[in-house]
Amino acid sequence: MTLHLTPLHPGFVAEASGIDISKPLTPDQVAAIERGMDEYAVLVWRDQPLTDEQQCDFSRNFGELEQTLIGQMQRPEERRLKLIELGDVSNINAAGGIRARDDNRRMYALGNRLWHTDASFRATGAGYSLLSARIVPSKGGNTEFADMRAAYDALDDAAKAEVEGLVTEHSIAFSRALLGFAEFGDGNADKIRPVRHSLVRTHPVTGRKSLYLASHIGGIVGWPVPEARAFIRDLMEHATQPRFTHAHVWRVNDLVMWDNRTTMHRATRFRDLEEVRDMRRTSIKGTGLTAEQVPVAAE
Amino acid sequence: MQITEVGPGFVGDVTGIDLTKPLTQAQVAAIEAGMDRFAVLVFHGQHFDDDSQMAFSRRLGELEISSGGEMSRPEERRTKIEVADISNLDQHNRLRGADDRKRLIALGNRLWHSDASFRAVPAKYSLLSARVVPGRGGNTEFADMRAAYDALDDATKAEIEDLVTEHSNAYSREMIGFPAEHYGAENQDKLRPVRQRLVRTHPVTGRKSLFLSAHIGSIVGWPVPEARAFIRDLTEHATQPRFVYAHEWKPWDLVIWDNRTTMHRARRYDDLNDVRDMRRTTIRGEGQTAPQLQAA
Repeated sequence: MTLHLTPLHPGFVAEASGIDISKPLTPDQVAAIERGMDEYAVLVWRDQPLTDEQQCDFSRNFGELEQTLIGQMQRPEERRLKLIELGDVSNINAAGGIRARDDNRRMYALGNRLWHTDASFRATGAGYSLLSARIVPSKGGNTEFADMRAAYDALDDAAKAEVEGLVTEHSIAFSRALLGFAEFGDGNADKIRPVRHSLVRTHPVTGRKSLYLASHIGGIVGWPVPEARAFIRDLMEHATQPRFTHAHVWRVNDLVMWDNRTTMHRATRFRDLEEVRDMRRTSIKGTGLTAEQVPVAAE
Repeated sequence: MQITEVGPGFVGDVTGIDLTKPLTQAQVAAIEAGMDRFAVLVFHGQHFDDDSQMAFSRRLGELEISSGGEMSRPEERRTKIEVADISNLDQHNRLRGADDRKRLIALGNRLWHSDASFRAVPAKYSLLSARVVPGRGGNTEFADMRAAYDALDDATKAEIEDLVTEHSNAYSREMIGFPAEHYGAENQDKLRPVRQRLVRTHPVTGRKSLFLSAHIGSIVGWPVPEARAFIRDLTEHATQPRFVYAHEWKPWDLVIWDNRTTMHRARRYDDLNDVRDMRRTTIRGEGQTAPQLQAA
């Protein structure tokens, strides 16, 4: 079985077919998928029913799995899914019911409606994320993707010169503060400590530059905070213009994988108090720091 | 006086009138009619000083004092208190430094907003006069909240019809990381949230519009994060290029906009090196859009 790719935009987002990803892959197949990711940044697989274990197995072809932040912050009895490597991207509580309007987990998850890249609040960021749709709502709940390579390319030379070398500070607390949320629970202070990233990063394989943006950004090193935030907002607006974005309308058993190093994404609204949306996410650990970190003072 | 439509249908370019001279009642009525039709009017070559700008503005209603004026001490002001100092200059006419508190507050103007929506009686018109403009950048962009409302689907119109939002200067500044405490203890009462309808109806034209602003921090009865995510979505909808006009300033331009039916924002320029000196007068609104909470 060989991989077939159908681009949905020039150089961005392709529909992938020809391979059953629930089965073990050959090294050639894995390499072909990685080449597709390098070129298109987002691959959409249709009609790929997966169990949680199969999703983890497929994901491990692309690197080591990382635990999601919410998994790490939750107590075991709050988790609906057994495997901590599996991010529970749903509106279902541990008892199997739809989360109530003021459920703390729901408030936290609303942050996914802001443009972001997964785990940029970690020093190493994330590599790929893989999201599998198990139950989808009848309307809404799309995932939108933005191409940070094309967004970088479209900057004028003065803007490129200005952003080159800038270092940003990312924390989950910054994105959640935009929505007025700060309830991370006791014992999680270390997980909201800001990390540093280069604003412009270069893809290790293709050598293409891209903007490393996320709503998790709260500052630019050496800039007054309000000036940094206003500037980052302008860049975000530039980078998420319709010409750089794609909206994925989910069907059950879709798997979409994206490269967090070269894209942003966000979820759009759906009637989450009435309808179920059950998605499972795996993420691949990032491969290295993009910027030097500030040493944490000994405590 | 002639008005020519420019941009996406809500901006009129006005010629044939000198606003620095006394106007007849008929001229004032023609300007008001133009405002109702367009929501933003652009005049060129209007050589105002602060007194003549105030005199003209008063023909359109009662002046209100800007929050920047109210919150500053007299010795910090470069202008009369009725004239808001929209510049990057301090009281000694020097460029403000990178960390200057007033500069950081002013950065909030780069977020889409409606002037004084944080007051229980929000502003009617704002009038912005360009005295010195930078070599590059510093545009003001306007968005038509009537067209944005009209373009919503019926389900959304029904959903928002009776929603009431809470506005405060503290919310917009919090978005860019300027803490409310930095306004000073003496100004905290001016940051108390006020309530506004999300959908308002223009008293003359009867047209509905979205009353959006970066000053919104919540929707009454909604969890805060859900309200903010929803308001962000609405703001994104309402500020699409098809609803937006960008004004590139020339010295002695005067732009009047209706805060009841538009949002606006300033764009970036090299404010540490290049002077931008604008003066704003603001006309008081006619009433509240929603009942307020009684102060405890």
